Amino acid sequence: MNTDTQLTDWREQALQFERQINQTVIGLQPAVRNIILAVFARGHVLLEGNVGVGKTTLLRAVAQGLGGDYQRIEGTIDLMPADLIYYTYLNEQGRPCVDPGPLLKHGDTLATFFFNEINRARPQVHALLLRAMAERSINAFNRDYHFPHIQVFADRNRVEKEETFELPAAAKDRFMMEINIDMPRGDTELDELMFNPRFHDTDRLVAGVANSGIYYRLNELAQTLQQHIQTSPKLHAYALSLWKATHQPQQYGVQLSDVEMPQLLMAGASPRGMSYLIRAAKTRAWLEQRDHVLPEDLQAVFPVCMTHRLFLNPMYAYRKEQLLPELIEGILDQVAAP
Amino acid sequence: MRILLIMVLSLLGCSGSIDEPVSYFNVETPRPFGYVNGDEIPQRIIIETRSGISLQPGSLPVKGQINRWLNLNRVTVKQTGQRYQIDLLYQVFYAPLEVKSLTLPGFTVQLSQGEKSISQNVPAWTFTLSPLRELVVRQSEQGEYMRPDSPPPLLANTQALYGLAASLSVAVLIAVYLAYLYGCFSGMSRRTLFKRTLRKLAGLSEADMEQALTVVHHALNSLNGQPLFLNRLGEFYRRNPQYLQINSQLAWFFNYSNRYFFSDAMIAVAQDLQQLKELCEQCRKIERGSR
Repeated sequence: MNTDTQLTDWREQALQFERQINQTVIGLQPAVRNIILAVFARGHVLLEGNVGVGKTTLLRAVAQGLGGDYQRIEGTIDLMPADLIYYTYLNEQGRPCVDPGPLLKHGDTLATFFFNEINRARPQVHALLLRAMAERSINAFNRDYHFPHIQVFADRNRVEKEETFELPAAAKDRFMMEINIDMPRGDTELDELMFNPRFHDTDRLVAGVANSGIYYRLNELAQTLQQHIQTSPKLHAYALSLWKATHQPQQYGVQLSDVEMPQLLMAGASPRGMSYLIRAAKTRAWLEQRDHVLPEDLQAVFPVCMTHRLFLNPMYAYRKEQLLPELIEGILDQVAAP
Repeated sequence: MRILLIMVLSLLGCSGSIDEPVSYFNVETPRPFGYVNGDEIPQRIIIETRSGISLQPGSLPVKGQINRWLNLNRVTVKQTGQRYQIDLLYQVFYAPLEVKSLTLPGFTVQLSQGEKSISQNVPAWTFTLSPLRELVVRQSEQGEYMRPDSPPPLLANTQALYGLAASLSVAVLIAVYLAYLYGCFSGMSRRTLFKRTLRKLAGLSEADMEQALTVVHHALNSLNGQPLFLNRLGEFYRRNPQYLQINSQLAWFFNYSNRYFFSDAMIAVAQDLQQLKELCEQCRKIERGSR
């Protein structure tokens, strides 16, 4: 089977998988598309949204559909790094035992690791997670454990700020995308969510997602895909302009109201962020049945890949929710290609 | 002979005595009527004397109040040789109830010749003074009895107005030029956008396809006010609905440009350039409003 056919087959599976998720979690099509992109680009995903809008259900459905070994942990204020690695207990014979924790339990077949309410965990836990996410390995019991297939999904709600720890910039940067989950807008969807009993029992709903069993081949696919999809010199120039614009938006004519543009940003996008952006854009081009990346691919993934990587000056941080989307939109509106 | 003698004697009788100390005396006064309260009345007295006779200035009336209703405002004496010109300026402060005859009092001018003193009478001068306002109470209720003064005539300001108009026009011209430099007339340049684009395209061949596409992209970007992409055409049509009629050509352009710039290099043929020029001509027609 040549690469083209292989990629076409995979695309069919990916779109089928997307349709299935969209039937399970309704009204969140853009978010589902972004998650699919992140999964096939092998990037970690952070979901942010209000309480009860379906973040956890969405991630559980994705994990269930992808197959592979799944682990989940709830972020709490007293969670310590060791709790992810091992837990101790007394067995039936009264002897103390040490068993591997959620991270180590499945060894190198660990596929989806779901960190619920990540902002409730302490920075120590974030630090451990950083290594697991970036290097796909951790050190425990005097040896390194590798997780070649690990995909971290995390979510946090943006309603509460008490007893939470803001994710450090380094941790945020390791997520490929930060996806905002909003309530479905359509009346029919809201009606469905209210009255259709199918959506009342999330366990049964998630169990209904067929396991596609594609998970452990994703690494290989992602590698083929990234090599196969082409980027032209003009696209390189466009991506470079976008990158520079995240550092000095004023040079590209981006102007926000009531903002001294040169003082707005403390840090723009990192090289890792840009490589994630290109990976996601290539995956999108593939899903759109192209063998080359277009500016519109970059534009489609730019907001989800970039918003959490731009750090505003503390002077403007309190207007973050308003300024960041405007800035992202301004950059996309001002940078021309070709 | 007798007749001649009589004539000589009578001529001698007409001539003044050569011993007269004052050879010429005259009081020049203006019209003796038509004065009202507050008017000034000049009086000029001219005296010519024999040499050796001089005027005693102390004998002239003193500047200040003469009587209850008369003031002497100015006294000037000008002497040229033996000729004295005395200018007096009186002012009347009298509000008569009807036309009234008044008299500037006479006085005596003293002239002196050594120890000897000579007097010259200045006669009193009578004039009439009219009331300033009508005093008879009108029976009619209508009409304004007291009327305001007529407004003072306006000063001619035509020149100032011309100056103002000229400087304003210069200021407006400068402002317009400044606005042009700041790019405030983008709408104007927008109307000739595709004209310029067509001119640039005219010199290009299919070998310069990249340049040609870039030129058209720039034109569309400036028209849109921000970069225009295929997936933003809908928004563009909402702002510029007249371009909706060439939707298929625009879509062709963006797809072609995407293929040209972002996929594996493709060979441009002359027909593509021709199509590009046609698209520009359609845009030019829309821009001129003829389509």
